[in-house]
Amino acid sequence: MSKGLQIAFGALVVAGLLGWYAATNLEKIGTFQYYQSLAEFRAANAEGKAVRVHGYVAPGSIERDLANRQLRFQVVNEPPHEAASAEPMPVLYGTLETPDMFQDGAEVVLEGRMASGAVFVADNVMAKCPSKFEAKTAERAPF
Amino acid sequence: MPEIGYYALWLALIAALGGVAAGVAGGSGRTEWSEVARRAVWATFLLTAIGVGALLYCLITADYRLAYVAQHSARSMTLPYRVSALWGGQGGSLLLWVFISLIYASAAMWLLRDSQRRLLPWVAAVLLLNAAFFLALIDLPALAINPFTKLPPGDVMSDGAGLNPLLQHPLMLIHPVVLYAGFTGFSVPFAFAFAALMTNRQSDVWLRATRRWTLVPWFFLSMGILLGGRWAYEVLGWGGYWAWDPVENASFMPWLPATAYLHSVIIQEKRDMLKIWNMVLIGLTYSLCLFGTFLTRSGVISSVHSFTAAGWFGYVFLGYVAVAALGFFVLLWSRRASLRSANRLESVVSREASFVLNNWVFMAILVIVFWGTMFPVLSEGVRGTKISVGPQFFNKLTGPFAAALLFLTGVGPLVAWRRASPTSLRRQFVVPGLVGAAAVVATVLALGDALAVYPVVFWSLGAFVTATIAQEYWRAVGARMRNAGESVLTALATLLRRNQRRYGGYVVHLGIVFILIGISGSAFNEERLENVKPGETISMNDGYKLEYLTAKALPKQHYGGAVARLALFHGSEPLAVMVPERRVYWLEQQPASIPSIRSTLLEDFYVILTALEPDGSATVKIHRNPLVNWIWIGGYTFILGALVVLWPHPETRSDRRALLPREAA
Repeated sequence: MSKGLQIAFGALVVAGLLGWYAATNLEKIGTFQYYQSLAEFRAANAEGKAVRVHGYVAPGSIERDLANRQLRFQVVNEPPHEAASAEPMPVLYGTLETPDMFQDGAEVVLEGRMASGAVFVADNVMAKCPSKFEAKTAERAPF
Repeated sequence: MPEIGYYALWLALIAALGGVAAGVAGGSGRTEWSEVARRAVWATFLLTAIGVGALLYCLITADYRLAYVAQHSARSMTLPYRVSALWGGQGGSLLLWVFISLIYASAAMWLLRDSQRRLLPWVAAVLLLNAAFFLALIDLPALAINPFTKLPPGDVMSDGAGLNPLLQHPLMLIHPVVLYAGFTGFSVPFAFAFAALMTNRQSDVWLRATRRWTLVPWFFLSMGILLGGRWAYEVLGWGGYWAWDPVENASFMPWLPATAYLHSVIIQEKRDMLKIWNMVLIGLTYSLCLFGTFLTRSGVISSVHSFTAAGWFGYVFLGYVAVAALGFFVLLWSRRASLRSANRLESVVSREASFVLNNWVFMAILVIVFWGTMFPVLSEGVRGTKISVGPQFFNKLTGPFAAALLFLTGVGPLVAWRRASPTSLRRQFVVPGLVGAAAVVATVLALGDALAVYPVVFWSLGAFVTATIAQEYWRAVGARMRNAGESVLTALATLLRRNQRRYGGYVVHLGIVFILIGISGSAFNEERLENVKPGETISMNDGYKLEYLTAKALPKQHYGGAVARLALFHGSEPLAVMVPERRVYWLEQQPASIPSIRSTLLEDFYVILTALEPDGSATVKIHRNPLVNWIWIGGYTFILGALVVLWPHPETRSDRRALLPREAA
């Protein structure tokens, strides 16, 4: 076999091993997650599947449940100060620990799944600054 | 002052474009233009420096007529942070990028003026084309990122919006600059490789000349990555230092082929092999630097960590990356015949083979990281929905390859060239092998019930590699003491001077061992979230206790909030008072949790004040991170090793100059 063919063969073997390893191991951990807006998520109606949903925290909806060490809040599709939204989606987050930016109106991405009973159970919550009036020019991070 | 900066950057763009033309002309045979190209590099550098100086002046003097100054700084910021606001936004950070790359370009033009006369016009052309692209991005009004844009007079305020509080941290004063010193520096070896291909001069002189030019940016990139991890650990408050975020991956991806190149270039020097492959690695490294910049700035991977820019900015940038990469690889393909080497790999048990394997492993890790990072984009293209990939994907897949690399780090430097005989293998590896085996037994016994695969693997391989390094030093110092009659310290100093690359490289490897041991400690991370009233105690594993004492208001100038005080005990022995803070920055209206960290060699206690609840209790998150400080210790070791490798020794410089062939006039 020529050298080029040997290299190609070796690369294929490695790629195949990687792909097989990835495929067999990763679905168990649920590392692949769809990313969609709240409106898209509702339309898709995918109960039980691990997803990432994008939305905004409905003002006044955050409840800290100290006894059960969990958090309840509601998420809407549109930024609250910009547009009125359709019905908010209730979220249950199993910890009291929230990202620094998490507050009324914050833009959030939730990782979790829709449990039975229309409550979204979040495994992870990521938040960004609530957009201010100069949202278009505001840049959050460098480079 | 803003006008000076604005026009200086336009002139810089014109100088750069002129220099590109001159460089191409000079490289194509009209040698009278070569000197013009060189001068164009310096001119572009000076003009860009004026632009940077003007922007710095506006930032320091709080000139809020400029939109950029208004958006990224405030009167409350001290001088260092006003300076760092230079890279607080898109336009300024691109300006910093091109400025640093021109420092490298000017230095290359000066330091290599005698040794690479034939190549320099092409090098100048490539480096100036690169600079012209970035300057054009900044200058052209269509992209709206020129930092010298003024606000409409009615919108000018007396104070600015301030810098993101997360960035107001000492590490953020240096991390971006160091990282850019890494990224931009790779443009020089890239340009030299391109020039060598263009002129079809395949001697290895340019390889040796540019080795230092690859080591320096590689060092800065490594430091930049570590600094970013340390900043994340100290400021972001989630208890970790690396999340495989697209922005993080963008900095890590070029590091992989760059490190592979540093190793395989040794093979080219010693055995005249892997010439095409080394070219591929250089091209890949710089292309990934550009691609990473594109990823971070274009918003194509939308996570809450990246930030969006003007719509077609992404396309323009991606187009440039494609042009640069394609141009290089097409040229390489057309010259491949002249790069073929006569030598072949003779045995799998040889230093060449272990270096080739090391390259394969680096490439495998690159494929994993690239695939995982780009998966959302690819999946959207194929399936219409964005599928994102979490950190577990990267951790699980890169783990085995990191272990393989660690193994090769021990084997590679010791195994013989061409074909290792059983005798040489025995002589080199008996002692380190025994040390490694003993370490396996020791770790298994020490862990007991907490037995986990990766800690055993990494600690025993770490012991193996450390033993190989110790053995190398021991034998070499011993030989000098016997043969040259030197004392231990003199022998050591001579070694470090005479063979910098080897013995400095060993120190760098030791740093990597420490870093991997530090990372492996995360298998035993412990976390707790508790809600406590004053006086209550949280009990942790191994007899550690945290007693919540009190919380006080934080009456500082730039932020308010609260600081909680918790006493850490081991049994009944008091260890420290942890003071996590929850701040709200007034101007930016942004909350931030600042962790309180207690560091020892063995572990970190990391406490975050999640919230002060209305009923007077405190919700506290506690992390116990074993071995994490070995990562930073590894970083310092790394710096030490790099200093040894890069140290310019006066008495050897003249020898080196004599070795470097002069080109015919």
